[in-house]
Amino acid sequence: MIDTSTQSKEKTRSFEEPVAKTKYFKSRKRQKKIGKFITYFLLILISIVLMTPLVWMVSTSLKPMEEIVQFPPTLFPETFQWENYTRTIEAFPFFKYARNTLFITFFVVLGNVVSNSFIAYGFAKISFPGKNLLFGLVLSTMMVPGFVTMIPQYILFTQLGWVGTYLPLIVPSFFGSAFNIFLMRQFYMSINDELIEAAHMDGANHLYIWSRLMIPLTKPALITIGIQSFNGAWNDFLGPLLYIHEEEMYTLQIGLQIFQNQSTTQWNYLMAGATMVLLPTVLLFFFAQKYFIEGMDLTGGTKG
Amino acid sequence: MAAKAVTKRKWTKKQKKEALWGLFFVSPFIIGFAVFMLGPMLFSFYGSFTNYNLTSKMDFIGLANFKRMFTQDELFWTSLYNTAYYVAFNVPLTAIGSVLLAVLLNQRIRGIRVFRTIFYLPAILSGVAVYVLWMQLLSPSTGLVNTVLSWVGISGPAWLFDPNWTKPALILMKLWSVGGAMLLYLATLQNVPQQLYESAEIDGASPFGQFRHITLPMITPIIFYDVVTSTIGAFQIFQEAYVMTESGTAGPANSLLFYNFHMWNKAFVAYDMGYAMAMSMILFVIVLILTFINLKLAPRWVHYGGGENA
Amino acid sequence: MKIKKWKSWLSLGITGSAALILAACGGGEAADGTDTGGDAASGDKIHLEMWSFWGEGARRDAIEAALDEYNSSQDEIEVEYVYQPWGDIWTKSLAAIAAGNPPDIIVQDINSVRQRADAEQATNIQQYLDQEEEDIQSRFYPQLWDTVIHEGEAYALPFNTDTQVLFYNKDMFEEVGLDPETPPATWTELEEAARALDVKNGDNWERIGFYPRWSIGADVWALNADGGTSWFDEEDNVKVNTPNKVAALEWMLEWQDYYGSDTINRYEAEFGQGIADPFISGLVGMRGQNINYYLSLRDNAPEDFNFGVAPLPEYEEGSGNWSWGGGFVLEIPQGAENPEASYEVMKYLTSTEVQEQFGMDSFDIMANQEANENLMEHPDLTEKGREMYQMAHKNLENTVITPVPLTAPDFNPLINGQIDEAFLGNKSAKEALDEAQASVENLVEQHQ
Repeated sequence: MIDTSTQSKEKTRSFEEPVAKTKYFKSRKRQKKIGKFITYFLLILISIVLMTPLVWMVSTSLKPMEEIVQFPPTLFPETFQWENYTRTIEAFPFFKYARNTLFITFFVVLGNVVSNSFIAYGFAKISFPGKNLLFGLVLSTMMVPGFVTMIPQYILFTQLGWVGTYLPLIVPSFFGSAFNIFLMRQFYMSINDELIEAAHMDGANHLYIWSRLMIPLTKPALITIGIQSFNGAWNDFLGPLLYIHEEEMYTLQIGLQIFQNQSTTQWNYLMAGATMVLLPTVLLFFFAQKYFIEGMDLTGGTKG
Repeated sequence: MAAKAVTKRKWTKKQKKEALWGLFFVSPFIIGFAVFMLGPMLFSFYGSFTNYNLTSKMDFIGLANFKRMFTQDELFWTSLYNTAYYVAFNVPLTAIGSVLLAVLLNQRIRGIRVFRTIFYLPAILSGVAVYVLWMQLLSPSTGLVNTVLSWVGISGPAWLFDPNWTKPALILMKLWSVGGAMLLYLATLQNVPQQLYESAEIDGASPFGQFRHITLPMITPIIFYDVVTSTIGAFQIFQEAYVMTESGTAGPANSLLFYNFHMWNKAFVAYDMGYAMAMSMILFVIVLILTFINLKLAPRWVHYGGGENA
Repeated sequence: MKIKKWKSWLSLGITGSAALILAACGGGEAADGTDTGGDAASGDKIHLEMWSFWGEGARRDAIEAALDEYNSSQDEIEVEYVYQPWGDIWTKSLAAIAAGNPPDIIVQDINSVRQRADAEQATNIQQYLDQEEEDIQSRFYPQLWDTVIHEGEAYALPFNTDTQVLFYNKDMFEEVGLDPETPPATWTELEEAARALDVKNGDNWERIGFYPRWSIGADVWALNADGGTSWFDEEDNVKVNTPNKVAALEWMLEWQDYYGSDTINRYEAEFGQGIADPFISGLVGMRGQNINYYLSLRDNAPEDFNFGVAPLPEYEEGSGNWSWGGGFVLEIPQGAENPEASYEVMKYLTSTEVQEQFGMDSFDIMANQEANENLMEHPDLTEKGREMYQMAHKNLENTVITPVPLTAPDFNPLINGQIDEAFLGNKSAKEALDEAQASVENLVEQHQ
């Protein structure tokens, strides 16, 4: 990164400093308390800053337009217009679009989690000729700006006859994506090779090692990829925009756009819709964390 | 990256088998690449030597696009400068920011799951709500940022209205949404055995010492990933600048006209796709070189727990 | 450790064949998708697809009602309306045209018709016009018709338009002793009215009479000062640094100096996103705006909000109340399968009756002159509504449309960058526009 040289120098100094600091040991309990206080203070302070756009979104979603255009803006609605939510749901087939979005998202998450874990294992734990070159190819796919290849790719999918279906949105995710392959590779690289060798000794092949040893060991990474590809697919706008031609098959992100047109924006409906679309991702993140904690440490056996 | 030591001839049967396994595992990528990416990438490469306009023209014009880029197009250099500026600050700052956040959130204290969720919010919130917030936070005379600065006696800049400060403003905004990268570090930190910290604590290591000697080495593989991918990503910044400047005007005095922004204008405003493709080739080469340097420097500071295969 | 080989192979099977299974499922869907197109109605009807960005509310209802009526009025053509998101519709259209698989009719931006005609993205409809007994051209305002002509032939039919006008708060006029029925007609009068409306409390501006660069750009005032000539004249010559445009920029710089950039920046930070509205909130007395703004006032302003509309004031007496407008056209993309049937639908949608009804429902200013004239006196509209159409119709006499110049389609950042430099105080108006002129000429050269 910025100063790799100083970092490696520092590492050689090892554990000398802590010894000098033993005098603090007695007051450790008090120190811990203060530490906890500071932690909470920081967490709450940053949380307030991070929450403000959300507060604004929800507040706007409950106001009538007459109130939204007024200055100075009110923090909380003067009149709560709950029917903004029902009107948003009625303005376009909300639940149908939600189902469509969920359908796409399900397969994209499945594809990403399985394929990237699979491919990255090959790059991280098996040696074969041309591996570095191939990995360079993986990285290079990230380097071409998307909208230069966008039109050629669209032409390709047209020729495959896939335009107008969900296939262009789903199928590629079963063949790995550079960012995730790279990420998974990094996780695998931290796993001790001895584990694999031991399994080899027992006669296990790579497929078995991958599915039985590696998948459980990389659970936090898989969940990370799962969360991120969920967000990617759930909030994807450009993909469905380009490839879906029938309103019946639209997704939520496209549906939300109907509140914006050339002269006016229905801020209250737009924000009501955005809040509803946001909710599943927030809930998913909140609950998926549980599996983070239950992840395993790589040096020893399982904990959960 | 050590696999190249293997001699190319005289494979043992075991090596052969191993190589087949390797190809088997990476085969989905090879197939996906060949089917979905190779064509469009080669097409863009060829297109960069043409006057391709998407619909009616695709004549070979040699290096004319590149010549025009380097000698005539004023905005090409502006956009390259803006982008380099952004990358230089964005990449290290977001890496540091997300590591710090992850460490802060990697504690087993009451309510931590709620905090983590809140901290992750900016990564999934985007668009108008965020933009409105930042316009107000960065408002020159009444915004919160400048108000806080004035408490400590600093007269804040005009941020989004001053071309010298638009890029710092954008970097600040991006720093705010480090939740995505934070998630990666958080996932990695789950793998650091708690015993290590406990024994370090008994040895009297300070929290900072623990961070430097236990945490940091364990997460270097992900820092490396983060730096490489965010460098690539930062070079392609576009959406934020497009949304932030009303009707895509690229900010005061073109100070937010990033490389991809200019490329977008060429491709979709002027329909000069050949030129845009040529621009993308130059970007490709720049990013490729930087990534190569990153890969070469990696063994000096990235620690893989995996052993010699790394 | 016991190895259950079959299990590993099973998992492999799942992984590897997932894509194939998916392909099969999706294939089925694809077939469904195209089927609905084919057998939607009786066998040999021509099925057309029309794309536009009207997603909900009045416009969507209006276009669907019009198409329903068309579909039931004859049994040869069946038009299906498909909504596409605003702005992004054109990216999608471009991809579809490039891949040779476009819809039949697209509602496109009026300013880039020539550009698309030149790049063979739009279908030439001149042959159909030539067969007509009716003079289709005469339906439209002349400057709108000009935009659809490329090398003497037509490539689209204008659908709707708009124009920039001056909105002013009548109650405020009364309050400060100005006559609410005589809005400012020249730049000098505009300044006088603004000074009367300004409210300053210490260093703090509590009310801004008028600021020229809000909601309408420097380009509109430059055009207003320069006898209706924009950055490019009709022959696509670069006209950036003309004396009148320099004077217009100097005039705008005076406004900035008068209120101070701090005040201007603060207002832009607070209102730039277009959510809170300073005009409705009573913080601004007059405001140059697209006439469509009427809709926002009608829907969002308090009942008793008393406003007037006037043409943009003229540079000096007799120079003309030049204004700027835009709009949308109906276009057949290149590669569409039934251009002749599509043309019939476009002709129907630009007829006086349909245009009048669309205007009634949506309050858009229509491209069809007669439709607007009817709406000016339409008994079903409110008085204010009729006033808007009267205003628009009159203003369209002086409204210039500025199609994208083929010689430098992406000139905007070059000029905007220089104008910004002037407002930042880094360059004088003359220097800025001189440099912009040189930059745009350089761009034109690159495209030759």
